[in-house]
Amino acid sequence: MAHEGHNALHDLLAVRGVTRRDFLKYCGSIAAALGLSETMAPQIAAALEGAPKLLPTLWLNGGSCSGCTESIAQVDSPDVATIVLDYLSTNYFETIMAAAGEQAEKQLSDTIAAGGYLVIYEGSVMTGQDGNTLLVAGKKGTEILSEAAAGAAAVIAVGSCAVDGGWVYGYPNPAEATGVQAWLNHEGITTPVVNLPSCPVNPEWIVAMVVQLLLVAGGDVATFVEKTEWLTRSYTDRKYGAVDLLMPKGIFGQSIHDNCPRRGHFENGEFVTEFGSKEEAMGYCLYKMGCKGPQTFTNCPIVRWNRRTSWCVEAGSPCIGCGGLNWVDNNAPFFHRLSDMQMGDALGNVQPGTVGAVVGGVAAAALVAHGLGMKAAGRVGDGPPMEEMKAYDRKRLAKKGGDK
Amino acid sequence: MGSHAHYREAHPLVFVITHWINLICMVMLAFSGFYIHFPFFSAGFMGVARGMHFVAMYVILINLVFRIVAAFFVKTANQLETREVDTDIKNWLPQAENKHQLVETLKYYLFFRKEGVISGKYGSLQKIAYLATVPLTFIQAYTGFAIYAPFADASFLAAGTTLVGGPMNMRIIHYFGMWVFILFTMVHAYLANIYNFAPSKIIFLWKETLPEGKH
Repeated sequence: MAHEGHNALHDLLAVRGVTRRDFLKYCGSIAAALGLSETMAPQIAAALEGAPKLLPTLWLNGGSCSGCTESIAQVDSPDVATIVLDYLSTNYFETIMAAAGEQAEKQLSDTIAAGGYLVIYEGSVMTGQDGNTLLVAGKKGTEILSEAAAGAAAVIAVGSCAVDGGWVYGYPNPAEATGVQAWLNHEGITTPVVNLPSCPVNPEWIVAMVVQLLLVAGGDVATFVEKTEWLTRSYTDRKYGAVDLLMPKGIFGQSIHDNCPRRGHFENGEFVTEFGSKEEAMGYCLYKMGCKGPQTFTNCPIVRWNRRTSWCVEAGSPCIGCGGLNWVDNNAPFFHRLSDMQMGDALGNVQPGTVGAVVGGVAAAALVAHGLGMKAAGRVGDGPPMEEMKAYDRKRLAKKGGDK
Repeated sequence: MGSHAHYREAHPLVFVITHWINLICMVMLAFSGFYIHFPFFSAGFMGVARGMHFVAMYVILINLVFRIVAAFFVKTANQLETREVDTDIKNWLPQAENKHQLVETLKYYLFFRKEGVISGKYGSLQKIAYLATVPLTFIQAYTGFAIYAPFADASFLAAGTTLVGGPMNMRIIHYFGMWVFILFTMVHAYLANIYNFAPSKIIFLWKETLPEGKH
């Protein structure tokens, strides 16, 4: 698959029947995803076309449902994203590679031996039972990740599972799943990790990162890390402690709520209260249906999904916050405004609103009871008879008197 | 405690005004906050609710800062039934009159003793509750700003969001903070007016209640 030189991408596109115009349009949307002006499209195209050679890439699957693979691989027509991703010379890709068995594993070990490759990691890192919760070709998944990541130029953790364990990490997490960064910290591996959460990952984001690597950094990872605008999101892994995650700011810098096409209805106080209602048909805001857009930070409303066709909220579902961290525990139940508080086995999961109402109700009842008590004690009106001296002083005085 | 005289020196006009501002802001904040938490009617109100929440929030913060500064300059009574005044901050600090009285006050309210307890203008429990509203207001401001998009990225706020485990948890803390204020207001209004409405007359209408026989 050695597409050397200037025409490599051009040939790929031609073979797939993609016109240059389509390609430039696509580069424009990538520019938007990177927070650049669309006028940067030609430069992006040039960077992709001018890249000297394909970047060897390993796509590793950890504890994953392969949903992220589905997300990038489901194409029913020549898709520019797929073609650009073809531009990565994917030497190993468990779910879709043609090679199998020893041949496939040899591709993996050869690439690692050669160095200078990119690792795209999908799925959680399964550390449970000393790593035996995930075995590939007789080898622990955790070992494969450590080996591949140690020699890689960079790791792109795609999807929430790779970022922080995703839904696999959700309580009680019997497989002791964790994220790539947490695991690499634990192993002392300092290869830079780019985190692209959400379930599944949006293929445009991977492309955006590849473009950024080629365009801005000329393929040099150190420059890529230095030149890209990052934000650091931190969280505490239950097993591995505090973890700082590097995320591209252009993609994860703003809330879904702030870019939502239904935002006008939110401000107007026009809400869907029931699925199948008139309000839903009118495209009202899904806030009351539990939309987690206000506390979820991705550019889904701008980049959208399935080749920029639509995305969850546009398609009629409240955001369930899959682009956040520890997103299942933090956002379930998905159709409630606030997440449940996990109060242990005795109390189960409780909504904060219920807690507030119960505490408020009990307090009100207690005050009424107390007021009746005050009345019964004859304190209401003129108040109680006042003490002449503090109880403390009375006692002290009595003691003194006794001593005499 | 009970039906004693209430002089204007206990609550000078400036603090009657700050108390009104607090009350109005609290009501606006709680009402708009509940609406933002869960819009319980659909009448084009969300934009208004948020605007109301922000305005009331800034006003109550400015009011609180003013109130704290004023405590060092304005003179108020710090004993019951007196026109003698001293710097207001004395009311914020422990007082000789309240010494050894905290447990006695609790006993009194739990009906374990009959006689009312000696205290300063504010009893020990009362003082603790009033003082607690200061850090509580700042906590509400902090948690509120931490979930307010234009400020949420500031490192001082983002660090707190990380500490509590993300913006959803911060939202829940902010929500519970409001319940603490609701509980405070319930208990405060109840205890202030349980004997008679003289305390309300002075704090809201600035009307004195004189001891019997005096005019």
